[in-house]
Amino acid sequence: MADLKHRILMVSDFFYPNFGGVENHIYYLSQCLLKLGHKVVVLTHAYGNRSGVRYMTGGLKVYYVPWRPFLMQNTFPTIYGTFPIIRTILLREKISLVHGHQAFSTLCHETLMHSRTMGYKVVFTDHSLYGFADVGSIHMNKVLQFTLADVTRAICVSHTSKENTVLRSGLPPEKVFVIPNAVDTAMFKPAQVRLGRDEIVIVVISRLVYRKGADLLVEVIPEVCRLYPNVRFIVGGDGPKRVRLEEMREKHSLQDRVEMLGAVPHASVRSVLISGHIFLNSSLTEAFCIAILEAASCGLLTVSTRVGGVPEVLPDDMIVLAEPDPSDMVHAIRKAISILPNIDPQVMHDRMKKLYNWNDVAERTEIVYNRALKCSDQSLLERLSRYLSCGAWAGKLFCMVMIIDFLIWRLLELLQPAKDIEEVPDVSLPCHQHGERIEEVFH
Amino acid sequence: MDTNFSSDSYPTSSRWRKVAYGGMQPGYDDNHTDETFLEDMVMNANVVKRNMLKVMQDSVSISQYLCIVALVVLVWIYTLRSTLNENSLLLLDVSLLGSGFIILVLTEEMLSLKRLLNYVLNVSFFTTGLFVLAPIYQTLTRSISSDSIWAVTISLLLLHLFLHDYSGSTIRPSGALKNPNLTSCISLNASIVASVFIASRLPSRVHVFATMLFSLQIFLFAPLVTYCIKKYSFRLHLLFSLGLMAVTLTFVYSIHCLLFVLLVGILIFVNVVCPYWLIRIQEYKFEINGPWDEAKLCFDITD
Repeated sequence: MADLKHRILMVSDFFYPNFGGVENHIYYLSQCLLKLGHKVVVLTHAYGNRSGVRYMTGGLKVYYVPWRPFLMQNTFPTIYGTFPIIRTILLREKISLVHGHQAFSTLCHETLMHSRTMGYKVVFTDHSLYGFADVGSIHMNKVLQFTLADVTRAICVSHTSKENTVLRSGLPPEKVFVIPNAVDTAMFKPAQVRLGRDEIVIVVISRLVYRKGADLLVEVIPEVCRLYPNVRFIVGGDGPKRVRLEEMREKHSLQDRVEMLGAVPHASVRSVLISGHIFLNSSLTEAFCIAILEAASCGLLTVSTRVGGVPEVLPDDMIVLAEPDPSDMVHAIRKAISILPNIDPQVMHDRMKKLYNWNDVAERTEIVYNRALKCSDQSLLERLSRYLSCGAWAGKLFCMVMIIDFLIWRLLELLQPAKDIEEVPDVSLPCHQHGERIEEVFH
Repeated sequence: MDTNFSSDSYPTSSRWRKVAYGGMQPGYDDNHTDETFLEDMVMNANVVKRNMLKVMQDSVSISQYLCIVALVVLVWIYTLRSTLNENSLLLLDVSLLGSGFIILVLTEEMLSLKRLLNYVLNVSFFTTGLFVLAPIYQTLTRSISSDSIWAVTISLLLLHLFLHDYSGSTIRPSGALKNPNLTSCISLNASIVASVFIASRLPSRVHVFATMLFSLQIFLFAPLVTYCIKKYSFRLHLLFSLGLMAVTLTFVYSIHCLLFVLLVGILIFVNVVCPYWLIRIQEYKFEINGPWDEAKLCFDITD
């Protein structure tokens, strides 16, 4: 299996220098795939003046396509506007498989559509959960249905996410794989010296927004402070709800017991985490939650709301789950404080090393790639019939879009034949050069 | 290929578990779909079973308000035709104001002299302001042709009816928690603009004052009064609505036969056809809930 080498194009609007779960996932997955001997190219939009082609650690080539983001780091959806440049990149890099990330990303949807038109096998990773009730979700679900109608294989980050994706897109469940995120345990080591138990520090690091449950924190923190005079909170993160937290702090005179750090850059997350005993996650929805992994890797006991994929993330003895309700969360924190003496951060860290590993994620993703490439090629007509079944009106609309896309592809072939596009020579870095960092990171 | 990750730390259990940690589960592919797949999905959990009679009773509020608006338009027409003179209009205003007050006072639980005084003071300010502004209203849109005035007025009234908040009242009883939303404010403003348009077709300043006072009383306070009645006793609300409908239909009949048929048709549509329709389309309701839904907070957030 390992001798089959792929040439993979990772596509998403979200990549470094932006920071978040998806960015992290793409970066680490690409690094590990490079280590497995595959060629990986990342395609994203330009960030500020970072535009053009860049090389990152390990010879990871990144195309920052000069399309300006217009909303939440997303490129403007033009449907066909990106086709010429995507085609050129696909041909130049002799790509064999396209892997798109994140359902919000317009660039990802467009690239997957064009690559399917050009006959490439595509894999899609869904990193988030969606409801079915509000207008925004209904629209997103339709777009997702369109993209996934013809995707070769899909990957979800948790089993809950898989259920959600299958429902939203109508994809057969056996086409959807579950491959979780992982954590770079080498970057999240516990503190050298174990913290004392006289004072218990509870750490919260999240964006302070409604979806992350900042309103729950406002209810929970004063109650815990009232119950335990030796508990202190450290809240890292910024957002619209920060004002409410600060109001709460004033109202209950907790200035000396609740420390507000503001936005914490990812590089200093560890230093914040290791100053605490318990990590508190109050999200209202979460497909996977990498923050929990980072905290557990630093040896913190996690208290979290039981939402989305969170219950699947850690074994029961490493996490205390609560319903998203203030009284239940306070109860969970009490339970966490009572079992805290049995928690050894170093043991926790060592367990995390065995539980999560990016190399494992890459190997499992490789299997998905192999399966995707084994799928038989399909003609345009076969694919159109699949789009047609997406809905009475939507199906016909999707077909129209695909037919036009096909015609544009033919036109591009006429204007700039594939053989005229210069192929990029592969730059193969000496193996040890890029292997070093990864080795050091993972072992 | 990666069994070493999982079998090391966990006794090899042959059963598949719904967990994401520990690498690929031995014996199961990553695309394994267990029989527990989607078992937490709940369908149509929040769907309310609706009762035809209940829906019909609830829709009475809508037809009641339709009749109120129809009555306002009737009064405008009568004034324009000079069937109603300014004195009887003023008398109508005063009696409406009085009866409105009495209903508010009777249905309100907490009766206090201070609140009553507050009401009286507000109404007197409001009336004085209107009296001072009446000449402006009279000439404001005079240069526009009557056809345009009627066309705009009718469309504004339709907008008003369309966006009106039938479940409550835009003017809140004092002490209400929630603020009115945007659409109900737009609706209220549309009705007021409509009255201003009509005012320019009236012969004298007193007419303008009386008509404006009448329309504003109705558009601003009628929802409040009917809301109070409904809160006080539902039976009284039904009786009141039926009475209003009868009165409106009689007056409309005397104006034009076709309008009468139209109004009867609308009332039947609102009270019988729509409730039946709503209940019929209930069976197409398909609502999915599951662990992927965003959790709802069980307390109120006060910003």
